[in-house]
Amino acid sequence: MAVIKLKELSEKEDRLTGGHRMCAGCGAPIVVRQMLLAIDEPVVIANATGCLEVATTIYPYTAWKMPWIHSAFENAAATIAGVESMYRSLKQQKKLPVDKDIKFIAFGGDGGTYDIGLQSLSGALERGHNFMYVCYDNGAYMNTGIQRSSSTPFGADTTTSPAGKAIPGKQQNRKDLTKICVAHNIPYAAQASPHNWKDLMEKTRKAMSLEGAKFMNVIAPCNRGWRTQTNDAIMLSKLAVNTCFWPLYEVEYGVTTVNYAPKKNRRPIVEWLKPQGRFKHLFKPGNEWMLAKFQEYVDDQWRAVVKLHNEAHPADQIDPEEGKTW
Amino acid sequence: MSGRQVLMKGNEAIAEGAVAAGCRYFFGYPITPQNEIPEYMSRRLPEVGGVFVQSESEVAAINMVFGASACGVRAMTSSSSPGISLKQEGISYLAGAELPALIVNIQRGGPGLGNISASQGDYFQATKGGGHGDYRMLVYAPSNVQEAYDLVIKAFDKADEYRTPVMVLGDGILGQTMEPLVLRKPKARRFDKGWALTGCEGRAPNVVKSLFMGEGELERMNLLRQKKYDRMRAREVMCEEYMAEDAELAVVAFGTAGRIAKAAVRLARERGIKAGLIRPVTLFPFPDRVVQKAAKTASRFLVVEMNTGQMVEDVRLAVDAARPVGFYGRPGGGVPTPAELLKVFGRELRKI
Repeated sequence: MAVIKLKELSEKEDRLTGGHRMCAGCGAPIVVRQMLLAIDEPVVIANATGCLEVATTIYPYTAWKMPWIHSAFENAAATIAGVESMYRSLKQQKKLPVDKDIKFIAFGGDGGTYDIGLQSLSGALERGHNFMYVCYDNGAYMNTGIQRSSSTPFGADTTTSPAGKAIPGKQQNRKDLTKICVAHNIPYAAQASPHNWKDLMEKTRKAMSLEGAKFMNVIAPCNRGWRTQTNDAIMLSKLAVNTCFWPLYEVEYGVTTVNYAPKKNRRPIVEWLKPQGRFKHLFKPGNEWMLAKFQEYVDDQWRAVVKLHNEAHPADQIDPEEGKTW
Repeated sequence: MSGRQVLMKGNEAIAEGAVAAGCRYFFGYPITPQNEIPEYMSRRLPEVGGVFVQSESEVAAINMVFGASACGVRAMTSSSSPGISLKQEGISYLAGAELPALIVNIQRGGPGLGNISASQGDYFQATKGGGHGDYRMLVYAPSNVQEAYDLVIKAFDKADEYRTPVMVLGDGILGQTMEPLVLRKPKARRFDKGWALTGCEGRAPNVVKSLFMGEGELERMNLLRQKKYDRMRAREVMCEEYMAEDAELAVVAFGTAGRIAKAAVRLARERGIKAGLIRPVTLFPFPDRVVQKAAKTASRFLVVEMNTGQMVEDVRLAVDAARPVGFYGRPGGGVPTPAELLKVFGRELRKI
């Protein structure tokens, strides 16, 4: 695979153009643009219902410079499976050149992926369609007005997990979708973040080079739902990684590799929570237990992924506690 | 809160009406333009010892309603058109197992993803049995916030009385409009739910099911259910008539279109045009007799809907060719204005 150079990228044309109506400072279009820039081949996109779908395709306009299809909320993976099957059949019928390399990607938010779209995602991964599913994960149903999803972090205040006296926000930890996808034994699954564009793009290229079903989970801060400033998306995605809330790792044919381990700069989770209005109540007296529980969850998740890395890479051991100075 | 006047959105009024009716179990999933219902319930139900669950999909939500209802409690779900489509299998199962439940549909434009504007495109789906099999459900179509609140309370009683799923069919305008609302504390009607699954210690086990495989068994069940629907037809019809007694032009419209048509009828009367309104409040059972009564005095009917013509078929069935029935529809999120309807009235009357 070719090394990704900034100069080369600056000369490439964006495949998701400007002028779409995503909110100022949204993480999702940054993720999509970076990922598409990493791919040289023709791409066909399926998009689940959500902010990205609604705001980039306000009829008669589209921000996508490639074939793009949307069907129902729960069916992006099924839709791309149908499209990919059709192309495969066209090649078999010799209606398309056999060597024509077309890539297939489904984009969905966490609501359309973790929740209602999980069934069709699982089906497409198990059947092994030659495609990549990308979840841009902002941790709630932002398009319909910030309702909780199964990706919403513990404690978050959303419109259907309101932080009040009786119940202080969402009571459950988030679902680990990346692990669920790994459990399908697909060639490639990874987590990435837009602040580390090189890692995100290299993962995209690697995924695209492999035959079969691939999955990438990319954190995509939402200033509306997270209640932060419009220029916080990159800062918060970086903090998500440096607090180990969102470890950057990949699982290639069952081998887990942690791509980035904070060495001296591992930050306590409060530093990621503090700037976000949705976690404001966690800092009120009496809710210290929630901060402690959140930190414990992050530590457990981080140690678990590092353990998998260390088992797979005897010569490249990571100390999960290193840099933990608080 | 009883007797107090508050300012509420239609969606919130629906949620508060359910709480007033004793519903303590809400299962829902986000979709615009009904999100205020689950959002309100997520805050309100814990206050009254109830349970709010956000499901992972509409399919899950309706089956949670099935589970709770089978245990004998008042349960509900709400959604908007595409989400209601997903719930249809569950609604059919509720009807098949004769379980009471409230399903609220705050309609948006369709088909497909459509848009999020107000629409009445789900009339057929609601009134003709949207899911599979041979069933009906009571369908209430409120046209303002107070009526939405009151009908939700009524809907729970009727659901228990007839052991049937009941739908409240609104639209984005009803859901989003803020209006004054008088809250009340309805008299608690008690229903014998001896069929409910409450643990069978000391009694014979109950069975709640929609599967009837024995020869003739399902036929008997469906005929029995048909009798229930006939009872609804005889007793449950609700309809508002406005200046209909001496109307030359009988306008028939429901929900938001009914409210707009009422304003248009008022404008028409001010101009000496003899228009009158028939506004079905129950869409199933349909107020056939009110329409038939009007056919004796009116020379012409006009059906106004925010779709391409659905209820008009029921009006034509009721009128039975005794009078011409015209139609004016605004599909896909289009909302007519009273002035626009006034022009249509004039056009229709010139045909007389």
